[in-house]
Amino acid sequence: MQDSALAVFFSRLDFAWITSMHILYPPLTIGLAALLFFSEWRWLRSKDDGWYRLTRFFEKLFIVNFAAGVATGITMEMAFGILYGPFSQAAGPFFGQVLGYETITAFMYEAGFIGLMVFGWGKISRKMHLFATFNVALSSSLSAMWIMDANSWMQTPTGVVYQNGIFQVTNWATALLNPDVLLGFPHMLLAALELALCFVAAVSAWYLLNRRHIGLFRRALIYSVVALAVVAPLQVYVGDGLGRVVADDQPAALAAMEGHYHTYNPDGSVDTSWQVVGWPNKAGDDFAWSISIPHALSLIETHTWAGKVTGLDDIPVQNRPPVVIPFYAFRVMVAAGGALVPLAFWGLWLVLRGRLSLERATAQRWFLRAMVAGGTLPYISVWCGWWVREVSRQPWVVYGLMRTQDGVSHMSVAAALFWLFGYAAFELMVWGSVWYFLAKIVRQGPDLNSPVTADGNQMLGHLEPALHDPAALPSYIRPV
Amino acid sequence: MNDLTQIQSLVTFAWWIALDVCVLLYVVLDGADLGAGIFSLFVRSATERGAIMSAMAGTWDANETWLIVAGGVLFGTFPFVYGATFSYLMLPLAFALWGMITRAIALEFRHLAEGRWLRFTDFAFGFGSLATTFFGGTAVGAVLQGYPLTHQAGVVPTYVGGALRFISPFSVWTGVAAVVAVLLAGLLFVRARFEKAEPIRQQAATWTNAVFYLALTAVAITFAASASLFPWAAARWFGPALPFWALVPVAVLAVVIRMRQAMRRERDLAAILWFNLAVAIMAGAMLATMYPWLVPGTWTIYSGASPAVSLFTFTLAMGGFIPIILMYNAYQIWVFRARISALAAYH
Ligand code: HDD
Ligand code: HEM
Ligand code: HEM
Repeated sequence: MQDSALAVFFSRLDFAWITSMHILYPPLTIGLAALLFFSEWRWLRSKDDGWYRLTRFFEKLFIVNFAAGVATGITMEMAFGILYGPFSQAAGPFFGQVLGYETITAFMYEAGFIGLMVFGWGKISRKMHLFATFNVALSSSLSAMWIMDANSWMQTPTGVVYQNGIFQVTNWATALLNPDVLLGFPHMLLAALELALCFVAAVSAWYLLNRRHIGLFRRALIYSVVALAVVAPLQVYVGDGLGRVVADDQPAALAAMEGHYHTYNPDGSVDTSWQVVGWPNKAGDDFAWSISIPHALSLIETHTWAGKVTGLDDIPVQNRPPVVIPFYAFRVMVAAGGALVPLAFWGLWLVLRGRLSLERATAQRWFLRAMVAGGTLPYISVWCGWWVREVSRQPWVVYGLMRTQDGVSHMSVAAALFWLFGYAAFELMVWGSVWYFLAKIVRQGPDLNSPVTADGNQMLGHLEPALHDPAALPSYIRPV
Repeated sequence: MNDLTQIQSLVTFAWWIALDVCVLLYVVLDGADLGAGIFSLFVRSATERGAIMSAMAGTWDANETWLIVAGGVLFGTFPFVYGATFSYLMLPLAFALWGMITRAIALEFRHLAEGRWLRFTDFAFGFGSLATTFFGGTAVGAVLQGYPLTHQAGVVPTYVGGALRFISPFSVWTGVAAVVAVLLAGLLFVRARFEKAEPIRQQAATWTNAVFYLALTAVAITFAASASLFPWAAARWFGPALPFWALVPVAVLAVVIRMRQAMRRERDLAAILWFNLAVAIMAGAMLATMYPWLVPGTWTIYSGASPAVSLFTFTLAMGGFIPIILMYNAYQIWVFRARISALAAYH
């Protein structure tokens, strides 16, 4: 069955591709929506139009990103059925229900308010608009909660029995509150917030570097850097906790992430060393070379000097995940996440020392440059984090219960390739246009001239207007 | 294979109704947007094309989300049908999806584009709408034909018949018919959303007359084709309940006549509502014909239902969330109800 092995491979590649392209957008949607709510709220409270300009400006960027999130997200929902038909059928009773809740409680909820948030300026009252923004922020986080729940259940499938090819839910509570989601969801939510903060800080730093709109973006920079100084260390802490959940519940995955091939050394003592870098040998049963630190692994995973950590050699060969991708992706994520902490502290220090004042902010060239570059780090972390998670779960699609090869659809190689190339082209097009338009909005800069929208007293028109009555004609403002 | 309790059977039935309502809402709400998009391919002035997009800017996302909800209900309640059918429909769904992605991107990015890019987004918008409609219609036709399933002990039956099986004269025809019907909805939408003196509204008005008769013909042909191709349909329609089924075309005709009158009197909103009622009657009749099949000859709603359906989750969704969704959807449409002029393409 050479042919079908190839088809399975392509189907997996298809899915990996579309999820990787989708996950580029939702974190910014989730995080930025919360930040937009904050700045709009500041505007209403302080009556300072600077906040209004910032809100409107970042909202423009938000919309572009949001559209791409929707476009790639719809693909995802269909993709489960198309690429993973048997998995969808088997896991449907739990997984499908959860995704169903996501669409009803989060997507519909979000869609109902996003139109008001984007196009409702001046049509609805300011308070109503703030309420709409709040709901967009809340609903997008809800969406992350459901989807993380579904995915975490695939990592730690509790509360179900697998019978006659179907996952029967025996206990909804334990299935929904599976061990992985309890930290997986906070980690994802923090990732979204961290990513959005870095995004705002990077854009603001870019303006300061170019000495444009200094007053406005200095404010955005200061707020986001201070928040980042809290969020970035917190993320490291939560990430460490998540690592321990994986160690407890998915020993094979952890062994792959850490390149931990042997539980015991040849002399019978526990192998406690942590591999910094390395490369597997031809047989794939050990590193050909590696740099390692004794005792570090036991310290990280068990918080003891010589605690035992299950190695790959304790896992049956047919259940071993690949090592290279999880191992390196994990290191990159941690390095990027780690680098954000000093960056945020540097910014905090500058703020505390008054170096980001109106006169001096643009002089901090190195910090500003570092911040612009730092905008990419969370994106890298998010990608790598997911690659760790999904690849180290292999060969299972539902950990320990259902194998990936039993979950994919029976496609021909041609059909799978058709999908791959089709979506590669389309999603690259989406990605390219997102870049193009984000850059364009940033180049144009915020709109400081159009009047601040009024409190929702514009004439909206009547359904069947009387033509002779000029007051009945709507005044329409195309939202910018 | 799938033993549902009596309560579960009832809940399954209720979910099926909910699914149908979501699909119908999608067709009715987004159908108008899609149709206006197809119409925009024939609109000469770039300003007017932009105005069409502005007319739906605040609502298209919410409209389209009904499809996502339908997908969610299908996956949640009928996972066996979801998994197998989407494998069967891989190609038409992929094309429809590309159409939707293209349309979404064009809609949201148009106000940022200029020159050649502007023309490109306009084209992408129209063409995306066309592709979504055609392949969506094709998928519906293909579902009506059913598909074969595997029979393997201990494994849920699934589809292995290849990617091209969906193609048939009937499914291609339903694609065409969908384009015609949706175009009519779009024209009515354009008429209702633009100020009365706008030239684009006049253009739409002339188009409506021709498309109206086209749509009537398309419905008649689809009906005749279904009656001759599908034994399950013919058996029901021409069985003992024939007098009841005969009421359906009568009702549709009555509604369509009211719609024509509303169109003549320029009561655009009323025309849309009558149109939607006609669609609802026909869709309802088709679903009643298919019952208990979800995919005729392949899945009934009971064989395809998740063994985990429960009254509790159903009540939660239907009692709690759907009414709220409906409320803010209505509010949203209300906020964006005003007629606009072609100037709306500018900001
Ligand atoms: C801004 C983004 C970001 C940053 C800075 C970090 N992570 Fe992360 N990480 C994610 C974004 C992310 C993610 C993409 O959101 C993942 C994938 C799934 C999940 O729950 O979160 C993830 C998964 C994930 C997992 C689960 C892997 C699995 O389930 O197999 C672990 C153990 C860590 N992370 C650990 C860390 C540690 C120790 C970090 C310290 C620097 C860290 N992460 C920083
Ligand atoms: C939370 C929602 C997600 C769910 C429910 C989910 C589910 C799945 C499923 C069903 C598969 C197929 C089985 C397999 O081949 O492993 C898979 C594979 C994969 N996913 Fe995810 N995924 C999610 C998020 C993501 C994200 C955000 C990314 C990327 C950044 C990602 C990257 C991958 C990759 C790389 C694979 C291929 C792994 C392999 O085949 O070796 N996933 N995922
Ligand atoms: C952890 C991974 C994921 C997160 C945090 C996430 C979150 C989100 C959020 C917040 C949105 C709405 C905002 C936007 O459109 O940008 C969205 C869109 C969407 N996502 Fe994801 N998603 C993830 C993975 C997935 C997966 C695996 C699926 C497949 C079922 C999926 C399906 C969708 C759909 C259908 C949409 C469009 C809905 C709409 O019309 O608003 N997402 N996602």
